[in-house]
Amino acid sequence: MVRAVPPWVRGAAALFVTIVMIFILGPIVVVAGVSFTAGDYIAFPPQGLSLKWYRTVLDSNVYVQSALNSLQLAAVVTASATVVGTGMAIALHRGRIPGTGILSALMLSPLVLPTIVFALGLLMFWSSQVGRTSFVSLWVGHTVIAVPYVIRTTLAVLSTSDRFLEEAARTMGAGRWKTLIHVVLPQCLPGIAAGAFFAFNISFDEAIVSLFLRSPEIMTLPIQIYTQLEFSPDPSIAAVSTLMIGLTVVMLLAIDRLLGVQKVAG
Amino acid sequence: MAAVVLNNVTKLFGETAVIKGISMSIAKGEFVSLLGPSGCGKTTLLRMIAGLEQTTSGSIIIGEKDSTALPPEKRDIAMVFQSYALLPHLNVFDNVMFPLRMRNLGTRQEQARRVKDVLEMVQLSHLATRRPRELSGGQQQRVAVARAVVSSPQVLLLDEPLSNLDARLRESMQEELIQLHRQTGLTTIFVTHDQEEALSLSDRIILLNEGTIEQEGTPAELYGAPTTRFSAGFMGSSNILDVELVMDGDACRAMLSAEDVLTLAKGYVRGGASTITFRQEDVQLAPAGDSTCTARVETAIFLGSRVRYVVRAGLHCIRCLATDGQIFKVGETVALQVAPNRIRVLD
Repeated sequence: MVRAVPPWVRGAAALFVTIVMIFILGPIVVVAGVSFTAGDYIAFPPQGLSLKWYRTVLDSNVYVQSALNSLQLAAVVTASATVVGTGMAIALHRGRIPGTGILSALMLSPLVLPTIVFALGLLMFWSSQVGRTSFVSLWVGHTVIAVPYVIRTTLAVLSTSDRFLEEAARTMGAGRWKTLIHVVLPQCLPGIAAGAFFAFNISFDEAIVSLFLRSPEIMTLPIQIYTQLEFSPDPSIAAVSTLMIGLTVVMLLAIDRLLGVQKVAG
Repeated sequence: MAAVVLNNVTKLFGETAVIKGISMSIAKGEFVSLLGPSGCGKTTLLRMIAGLEQTTSGSIIIGEKDSTALPPEKRDIAMVFQSYALLPHLNVFDNVMFPLRMRNLGTRQEQARRVKDVLEMVQLSHLATRRPRELSGGQQQRVAVARAVVSSPQVLLLDEPLSNLDARLRESMQEELIQLHRQTGLTTIFVTHDQEEALSLSDRIILLNEGTIEQEGTPAELYGAPTTRFSAGFMGSSNILDVELVMDGDACRAMLSAEDVLTLAKGYVRGGASTITFRQEDVQLAPAGDSTCTARVETAIFLGSRVRYVVRAGLHCIRCLATDGQIFKVGETVALQVAPNRIRVLD
């Protein structure tokens, strides 16, 4: 039991927390602030308030089209990463496959491998073995980096579950498939939902893999932002970024409503 | 008619034989305990009957149907796990309904009615809509039992279901299990390492040791007439003595030392080195006097209604549980007596 914390430690802790909060929230505040500027330049604090850059973004064909591309991509990546990741997590959890340890390290390697290295490698592999880059290569690339998150969140939920549940289901007359559908998957659900959320966000935010694996005619939102920033920076970037943040927050709230953030955090 | 028959079943894990040829027949409605220390194979045997472990050789017949090669879901069984294994995403009602749903037994209404009846039987009707994690250990245990009896299986398998409960709750659950067994009449196989639990619940106890049946019989038989040193030790017979047996006329006498002699019941005709056993509550101590066996009190532990003594006769330490008011002091010499019909010679 800690009985008394010296005042200076309390002070230091408060300072530390404040600094962390500033560095986490500061950028968001700046971006959101800039997006509401009435001026023509990226500047903080904003000069006057207006929604004109939001109008610009929503009227702009390139932004809207790239946003639609990104949403579409994120949707299919979420689906594929969820299916693959859930299956992998269940298999790894059972640990009956030989080399489970190696396999699980391999499955989680995209988390530690520098994304740029992976992207370059996949591009070279794709070009030599499959062909031209396309929506499909983007899909595959995004899925690979999203899968580990689904595996992690699903495994986290599985590892806390009663390991006799499956056997119990079998003794109650459920065959392998019924056990999977009525027992294992409902168990995994919070983990799968969290993994799907991560997968969606990773794909939606991802720039590096997209840069390498997209075909020239497919523009995703992060790349559009990057291009815009490089060639003609204006506050529309801040507006579109704020919209992206808003989307994430809405999804987070929805997940919290449905499942509770506690569960999702694993 | 036998509900469960095991014919010479064995189980190898790799090279290690865990079950070494066990045969048994369990009658319909019988309550049988598989008793033994950890590692004796009792849980493995139960899991083999459930189909959760494959049988290496031999056959398992459940409800007159050869089930040796059947997966668990095709066997007419139900099992209560040590951890209860309740489905956390379903409420109590749906948990109990689960076996009926999976086995497609009856219409939806019939299933619901059956679940209601069973929940009433275990007095959980008021908790039907709760999730398992909102229940106490004892309540979870009852849900697990309700879920097991709901489908009226050929045999109910219980894998140490009481071991996670505290002592007081365990006692009341024992009573409930006995009552439930009487009400449902289900053939029950109960795995436990607790001899008292086995004694109080079972019609028959099968004592396992290192993958074979050491002894089987009614609780009274196992308690009162263990046939081997292992049985005697495991059933709590605390006096197991290696002695010389000598025939004296038609009476067989056990020599605790040259002067100290216990007489065995008539009918024992043998001599030489043997092992005898008797229970500590069957030992009678009296003030030293004219007797065939004297002993010296080494420790005396006051237990309230009884006194536990350890006395030494010759080279042997003997435990006794004295109920009478007579108190002996440490170091005192006493006369020791055991009724002849209470002494058993082990194989």
